[in-house]
Amino acid sequence: MGYLSRTGGVTAVTFAVAMATVATSLLSPTVAQAQVRMTVPPQSEAVALRGATIHTVTNGVIENGTILFENGVIRAIGTDVEIPTGTRVVDVSGKHIYPGLIDAYSTVGISEIGSVDVSSDVNELGDFNPNVRAEVAVNAESRHIGTTRSAGVLVTLTTPGGGLISGMSSAMSLEGWDWEEMSLESAAALNVNWPNPNSRGGRGGRGRGFGPGPQESPPTYAEQVQQLKDFFAEARAYRDATTAGEEVRTDSRYTAMIPALNGEIPVVVSADGAAQINDAITWAQQEGVRLVIRGGGDAIHVADRLVANDIPVILTSTMAAPGRDYEGYDGAYTMPARLHEAGVRFAISGGSGALYTNRLPWEAGVAVAFGLPEEEALKAVTINAAEFMGISDRVGSLEPGKQATLLITTGTPLDMTSDIEQSYIQGREIDMNDIQKHFFDKYMEKVRQNRRVVS
Amino acid sequence: MSIMTWALKHLQASFWQASRCQSILLGPASGDTQLVPPYFLTEAVVRAILSFLGFTLLLTCGVEAQQATRTEPVTGIRDNGTGFHALVGARVVTAPGQVLDGATIVIRNGLIQGVSRNMQPPAGARVWDLAGLTIYPGFIDAHADLGMDAVPEGGDVGPTHWNPQVRAWFSTTMNLQDDADRRAALRSQGFGTALVVPKQGIFRGTASVVNLGDTGVRDRVLRPDLAQAMGFQRSFQLGGAYPNSAMGTIALMKQTFMDADWYMRAWGAYEASGRAFLPPETSEALAALEDAVQGDQPIVFETGSEEEYLRAHKLAAEYGVDAWYRGSGQEYRILDVLRGRNDPLIIPLIFPDAPNVNDPESALNASLADLRDWYLAPTSPAQLAGAGVRFAITSDGLSSLNEFLPNLRIAVARGLSTADALAALTTTPALWLGLENTHGTIQEGKVANLVVSEGDLFTEEATVRDVWVHGQAYGVTRSPQIDPRGTWRIASDDEWGFEAALRLEGPLNRLRGSVDIAGPDGATINLASAEVVAETGRIEVRFDGEDLGYEGVALLAGSVRGEEFYGWTSLPNGANPSFRGSRTEAYEGAARGTVAMNVPEIDLPFIRPMMEFGRSSIPEQPAAVVVRNATVWSQGPLGQMENADLLVQEGKVVAVGPDLDAPRGAMEIDATDKHVTPGLIDPHIHAGVTDINESGFAIVPEVRMGDVVTHNNIWMYRQLAGGLTTAHIKHGSANPIGGENVFVKLRWGSLPEDLKLEGAPRTVKFALGENPKRRQGRYPDTRMGTQEIIRDHFLAARDYEREWQRWEANGEGIPPRRDLRMESILDILNQELLISSHGYRADEFLALVRLAEEFGFRVQTLQHGIEAYKIAPELAASGVAAVVWSDWGGFKMEAYDASVYNARILIEAGVVTSLHSDNNEISSRMNWEAGKLLRTGLTHEQALSTVTNQAAKAVAIDSRVGSLEADKDADFVIWSGNPLSQFTRAEQTWVDGRRYFSLGEDAAMREQIERERTQLIQAILSISGNGDMRDLRGSN
Repeated sequence: MGYLSRTGGVTAVTFAVAMATVATSLLSPTVAQAQVRMTVPPQSEAVALRGATIHTVTNGVIENGTILFENGVIRAIGTDVEIPTGTRVVDVSGKHIYPGLIDAYSTVGISEIGSVDVSSDVNELGDFNPNVRAEVAVNAESRHIGTTRSAGVLVTLTTPGGGLISGMSSAMSLEGWDWEEMSLESAAALNVNWPNPNSRGGRGGRGRGFGPGPQESPPTYAEQVQQLKDFFAEARAYRDATTAGEEVRTDSRYTAMIPALNGEIPVVVSADGAAQINDAITWAQQEGVRLVIRGGGDAIHVADRLVANDIPVILTSTMAAPGRDYEGYDGAYTMPARLHEAGVRFAISGGSGALYTNRLPWEAGVAVAFGLPEEEALKAVTINAAEFMGISDRVGSLEPGKQATLLITTGTPLDMTSDIEQSYIQGREIDMNDIQKHFFDKYMEKVRQNRRVVS
Repeated sequence: MSIMTWALKHLQASFWQASRCQSILLGPASGDTQLVPPYFLTEAVVRAILSFLGFTLLLTCGVEAQQATRTEPVTGIRDNGTGFHALVGARVVTAPGQVLDGATIVIRNGLIQGVSRNMQPPAGARVWDLAGLTIYPGFIDAHADLGMDAVPEGGDVGPTHWNPQVRAWFSTTMNLQDDADRRAALRSQGFGTALVVPKQGIFRGTASVVNLGDTGVRDRVLRPDLAQAMGFQRSFQLGGAYPNSAMGTIALMKQTFMDADWYMRAWGAYEASGRAFLPPETSEALAALEDAVQGDQPIVFETGSEEEYLRAHKLAAEYGVDAWYRGSGQEYRILDVLRGRNDPLIIPLIFPDAPNVNDPESALNASLADLRDWYLAPTSPAQLAGAGVRFAITSDGLSSLNEFLPNLRIAVARGLSTADALAALTTTPALWLGLENTHGTIQEGKVANLVVSEGDLFTEEATVRDVWVHGQAYGVTRSPQIDPRGTWRIASDDEWGFEAALRLEGPLNRLRGSVDIAGPDGATINLASAEVVAETGRIEVRFDGEDLGYEGVALLAGSVRGEEFYGWTSLPNGANPSFRGSRTEAYEGAARGTVAMNVPEIDLPFIRPMMEFGRSSIPEQPAAVVVRNATVWSQGPLGQMENADLLVQEGKVVAVGPDLDAPRGAMEIDATDKHVTPGLIDPHIHAGVTDINESGFAIVPEVRMGDVVTHNNIWMYRQLAGGLTTAHIKHGSANPIGGENVFVKLRWGSLPEDLKLEGAPRTVKFALGENPKRRQGRYPDTRMGTQEIIRDHFLAARDYEREWQRWEANGEGIPPRRDLRMESILDILNQELLISSHGYRADEFLALVRLAEEFGFRVQTLQHGIEAYKIAPELAASGVAAVVWSDWGGFKMEAYDASVYNARILIEAGVVTSLHSDNNEISSRMNWEAGKLLRTGLTHEQALSTVTNQAAKAVAIDSRVGSLEADKDADFVIWSGNPLSQFTRAEQTWVDGRRYFSLGEDAAMREQIERERTQLIQAILSISGNGDMRDLRGSN
């Protein structure tokens, strides 16, 4: 019995050549593996998955349904789907189909080994880098891509960090030979790091003492906010000048700002503290940009304002410690449920770490244990993430016209008691192997060889 | 010369005069049972007799006595004041709770000749009219920092100690300096005597009792080198790599105590042998500790927290030393411990600033721990007094000495009686410092150390006027020689003059008032400033000239004589009219501000730890508890049972099974649809200790995490809430051989010692790979070197063992030294100290397993073990358990080959396999860590075993915990559903048959926390926004 199923035997999902190689490798351990994970060609024949419970996210749950997709795009979903001739029909009775999960904040592909600096391409030098785009640094051979896919996360908003303006998130579809093939959206969102009025999650400054405390830096905070304002003002002036046909020298940074200034892409502002979020909202309203708050540790304290202004939040830490000692042990766990009750729109992200983007499902699942309706948790890692980041026309739910990026599972992907058996990305039936399974295969063989020697 | 004889000799010199009196009257003293120097006995007896015989005799004796002989020749003209004073008219607080109004104190040659009411000053005495003032006995600071122990440029020299933090040889007497500013600052707060404590290093040297007068260093020493001083903070300027952690510091303390003992014996053996061998090493530090380690000289420990106090106390008890403690100000947290203890306890008045609550977002960040500390720390002295704990108060620990009296008044305003406060500054330290017969009260025959104040020092914004030290007055604040308060009618005949009433009020050193201009255009102008120039009898005020029709400031100065006033002004127009005036009304307000409690009364019940979710007591243990109708995961031979019951009694599991009979009165818990599992176990965390790494040396098995367990650890509560009940707190990974680890049960609300798992096996941290080799300039730099340094120390321990065996057999030569490091390594080789090794790669693990086998023992666990799966068969064959992560990896080079299938492969190969967190947060959700293994193909019971029974087995505590079997500890968790599901949460967590967590209690505690936070934040806001607890009521 392999990793594909613990419920017994080999699953029905064994038709693809690559898949068969992997699955049988467990049974025939002598088969050498040339590579851990093979990239498969674009979808060339129509596929219909039949008999599953289909969780569309946006249009309810369809029991015993069929989903038909062709050239990477969903053609039909329902209980009575007409199957064109030449369609490969796969019986997935008893299984569940979900849209591929989306991590709205990730560094998959641009970060490989945490403490090995040279393996990271996350932070560019300087405070203002709106022109850098994550996609060009995405290493298609990263080990984390495989493990991320195995967890059901098929799309990531790979995001640079550092400085006050970090650069552009790129929406990446996790199948392809290179970044160009993987890229869904080159510049999906502009990222701003809101300055810290004091140390985050700390205990605040000293009320009375001898000279300014080390954590207190109000001038610096104000100055940083002013720097941001100045940069946006300059960018706007640059845009207006070029629009007016003025001859100005080109500036790649200001040029990159234009879609954000025009409200064509969101400005994602990293802000956790209540003061940070409040100040970021004030600022965004002055600038007239489409604001998305990322982090949102204190979002519940600003809930009314977020709702009133329809500002969505990307939560970066739901499976996390509470920010303050007096908050309950479940302060982060219950945050999604509390925001939901307050009417705040939110997505749940994996907290950026490339190494652990595969934990995205648990980040959402914990919210269910602590009061969030399961369907809301699912939305938080699918359609909400897609909407906030401007890619919901292609991914985030199972609807005709959207990409066939989906999971075949034994149950909800948000709980570890169920398995993800096969995934499709843009209609491609992907290789489910990853480096961790590869090591499993290899070293179970060592165990087996040793057993033979012992016996 | 022993410390005692040396001290006695100096004392006798200091009290030459008294001694003369005694010997005349009594001759040598007879023996007594008390362990105090005979000098004091005789002196006490003398005083008793003197007071019986009366004043005349004393006077005679005093007249006969002269000033002390000095060895230093006088150059120039001699200065011979009479030293004969009479202080008359003051309110004299002779001792705590004893007051003489309008009394006279007679001082002669530094001693008090008499104090009584209605006594005429003797002829010839200089009379000091102190009517209206108050006199207290001079304060004694039992832990003063005179800043005299600066480290010399280039460090200490000579054969002192290999570790620069061990400075026991340093003597505050030998190094007494002319530190006039510090002494003046201490005097300004009322102190006349101090135990001067060195502050550098861990073993800091000796503390000496000195007087704080301005005489030369040879005249100031009262009790030289009375005590050794130690502290838990090392001094960076002293240098040295080791120790650099709290547990390393304690290990160094233990080893040094043992070394001092060895040093005596080694030199004794050397001398006894007729110097037949080479001599032992010379160490001035070890030599200086001789008396202290034998319990003949006190050691005063400076503690920085209530936990450091607990640690110092434990250490002192273990090594039989006579310990004194400088407290931390957090004593109110351990009143139950302190109650009944009699060791000298010297507390500082460290009161934390109010947390910043100035805006809503800042208020959001104020923790209950900080808020409570702000509110309660000032009550600590009162609480100690209320608990009957005797203490002295020191000025040490304040960021400025000027905070001392204000903080003292806060302590009194917050409930400390003035008598207790005074005792803590006089009689109590006098007793402990051996000065009870000479200092601490205002009494005939005692040294004339006095504090003269305007007002009550403890309850009012009083000013220290003078401090008398050994009969010498030192001015602190000048006395205003006029009192201009009241209402004056002033007028001028000059062209620019005006007629006005000048009102002056408030305390003399902070006058306020107004100028009321008479006439039809009259106005009242508040004074911008008003002050008295004491010596010249002048009053100077300034006020805005606008109401007089001038733009600018008007100045008015005048000489006050009785009820008359002569003055002139400087008006903004350049005119200088002169004034005359007379007092029309006397002043009848409060002379000075009364310090009162300025915070609302808030009922803050005692909780432990003193922070969020702290408990008022540990939960009760019902005689029997039965959990009904649950899915019980026994994790033992019974496996998982549906609709089953769990019965526990007196903290132990009795049975698991269907329809169990419960004893009458058993607590019944309906757990229908719930799951019950053993309490979860995490064999690798770092929460709950003060420090994690002792990285000063590559090999440090002598350090013990058990020495630095902290109960002020919010994570413990959060971990309980996630079902964790037992944890193994590990030393860090900076060393090939690290420190000894400690097992704790999550008995939230207990003190550190009570958290420890009783009878747990001893384990030691090893570390391989990147971490131990990345310390710059410290061997090893490679995995090869890591193995070799471990091997070399194994060999060294065997050599050490042989050395002892040889010496024990023939007793020849210098006795070997007990070496805690070598003893620990021997325990490792003998498998009494189990190896729990950090590492990632297969190669380094395999090498360690083989190295242990070479020395004939077994490694207990490999921890982290990112690549353990690569050597699963070898581990199984060698009986080594694996403690691994579920899906953590990739965070560094050696973690790159991580696989979530690690545990699965290990289990398939027959290795005892456990999960661990190595992380505060992850350890609060170990059930989900186990759940992650489901996708690797493990069964549910196998997955849960990695955080219960197999975890227990991996670290050899499976006889106590890990499964629900008869006689195991009643540590269990009630879950809302399958504990391995992401959608499940813990509802109750029990440890030792006590419910330490439940959702219901948690909710109630949150309400209480929110209520207290709100009250405390409001309390801060109510105090004019700055959280200053002093309220100057009555100061108008």
